[in-house]
Amino acid sequence: MTRPAFELPVVGATPVDHAANAAAFTADAARTTWHDESLWFVREKRDRAAASVPEWEALRARASAIKEHALTHLDEYLVRFEENAVRNGMQVHWARDAEEHNRIVHGILADAGARRLVKSKSMLTEECGLNPYLEARGIEVIDTDLGERIVQLRGEGPSHIVMPAIHLKKEEVGDTFHDALGTPAGLDDPTALAAVAREHLRARFLAADATLTGMNFAIAETGGFVVCTNEGNADLGMALAPVHVASVGIEKVIPRVEDLGVFLRLLARSATGQAVTVYSSHVHGPRAGQALHVVLVDNGRTRQLAREEFWRSLKCIRCGACMNTCPIYRRSGGHSYGSTVPGPIGSILTPGIDLQRFASLPFASTLCGSCTAVCPVKIDIDAQLFRWRQRVVDAGYVPRSKALAMETSVRVLDRPRLFRALGAVARLGLRLLPARVERLLAGPWGDARELPAPPSTSFRAWYRRNRRGGRR
Amino acid sequence: MSTDAPARHDASGAGPSARDEILAAVRAALPPGVERPPAVETLASVLTAGSLAETFIAAATAAGAEVTSCDRAAARVALSSLTAGARSAFTFASAPSAAPGTSDPHELADLDLVVCEPALGVAENGAVWLATSDSMARAALLLAQRVVVVVAERDLVRDLHEAYARIDVRAHPFGAFVAGPSKTADIEQALVIGAHGPKAFTILLVHDHQTGEPS
Repeated sequence: MTRPAFELPVVGATPVDHAANAAAFTADAARTTWHDESLWFVREKRDRAAASVPEWEALRARASAIKEHALTHLDEYLVRFEENAVRNGMQVHWARDAEEHNRIVHGILADAGARRLVKSKSMLTEECGLNPYLEARGIEVIDTDLGERIVQLRGEGPSHIVMPAIHLKKEEVGDTFHDALGTPAGLDDPTALAAVAREHLRARFLAADATLTGMNFAIAETGGFVVCTNEGNADLGMALAPVHVASVGIEKVIPRVEDLGVFLRLLARSATGQAVTVYSSHVHGPRAGQALHVVLVDNGRTRQLAREEFWRSLKCIRCGACMNTCPIYRRSGGHSYGSTVPGPIGSILTPGIDLQRFASLPFASTLCGSCTAVCPVKIDIDAQLFRWRQRVVDAGYVPRSKALAMETSVRVLDRPRLFRALGAVARLGLRLLPARVERLLAGPWGDARELPAPPSTSFRAWYRRNRRGGRR
Repeated sequence: MSTDAPARHDASGAGPSARDEILAAVRAALPPGVERPPAVETLASVLTAGSLAETFIAAATAAGAEVTSCDRAAARVALSSLTAGARSAFTFASAPSAAPGTSDPHELADLDLVVCEPALGVAENGAVWLATSDSMARAALLLAQRVVVVVAERDLVRDLHEAYARIDVRAHPFGAFVAGPSKTADIEQALVIGAHGPKAFTILLVHDHQTGEPS
């Protein structure tokens, strides 16, 4: 199951075939069930946490409104954030794209003579491909979130934005630690493995020349930011390293401090079912003697903001609830999306970066709407998935077979007589053909399903016989 | 508004700066304005389980903290026995403490115990607000194996809305809501206490009632 580290989304790269990737994942049925149940467990914890807050729906509505207000006044809030951050002693940089972001971060590290970087979780830097960029320039990059460290040691990308190693079993983590950290072969107790990681990473924290964190929220009013973790890894890095770089997507700016009350009450409950993360850290300037750099990154966000149908996807606060609830994500695994942010939210964000490459993602959904129902900022994810499908078809990026099937359906459904005739043929065929052939005709739906027994007659015929006063 | 912008590093020497290009792109992309929702909204109470103290104790315990409710005298006794048993200890209050002997936080790598007095505790989630301008105190909070916080019952607030109304996040470069010991569930969802930071989190919740008086 080892996969290469996530590559930078490049226009023209090989399109992601989600269905094929999902088929590879589900080939191991026991593992698929285990993965499904692991995530459903988190979804149930989220439900209990949400139900414990009587004003949950009011909070969601307010969070959504604050984000929509912030995004529709984003220029003002970005400028205000920058002014206040600079006043707080931070150095603010702007990056148009991933390459510029990486160049800025490397420049900061090079200027400081930093060779050893400890990072806490930042999906933005995954998106930008920062780690390979820095490693190619001789900088040691250590991901310090336990899940991220595990996938980093395995040469993989995270499969979930909150639980990066959710796709791995403890035995696999044990093997990875045995190879990389010299733990005894066969050691797979999570407590013991986490204790080894603690010692291994504590040494890296103490030796680090610089630290990089993301931001959960950037506060325009105060020029500060909030980082949420359970492990305390972001805080250890910030408390020890002489240089701190905080990278953030421009959509993460919120207007006021009081807004944090709304977002922090929603975030952890939606993500893991905790009332709040262990650390919700507020940074309003460097420590004495520390350099603190903020990098504000666009990388396609202004293009998404300009899309009338899709700009609300930028409200996302990266809780991962839509992944945990999604019947497709749970049974196909995060890597099947080939995207830094997988799952339903990834499937509406990523097509905006490269529609051709990620054309299959809007179809990785049943459109059941469960993602929309749990989203703490009320993004209409299922509706946006549906709209992206239309854009994919408009652009001609659907497979010819699928397009042909749709065109044929239109021709048949347009002609009542043809429809009735084909219905009769199908009912006869389903009675006569062997099940093996029927499953073939059903396409992927037939892979694990028996087709139902065909009715003896069409509904139209049944209705004509049975309607009140109808002909008998 | 962009002309009087503060100094900034820009990677590109020539042409429009990244800042100006991004802000121009944002302005060109802005969807129709959505009004800011009313500043204060009355939200229902999360306190279904009784008093602030009861709710706080339940939430902090759920977050993995060990909570002892005691009066001032009992808190002093508990605190001195905790610090007496520690290999090394560091104490700070929410206000900046007296300058410690050293100024390099790395010196605290082997710290055993940190004692602190948060400005407030939040009933709905069991978190306490710890803020400091002291680099040593900030590092101690993460490097120590054990954390002891002493919080007065009268400093409990209902929820995060009340907490933010009470604190000034700008007062110090660093401030955090901390709920229990550090933890991870990154290996098969198994909860492990003591991921990178403290392995134990003790809260002495101090009330003003006389011992024996029903609370």
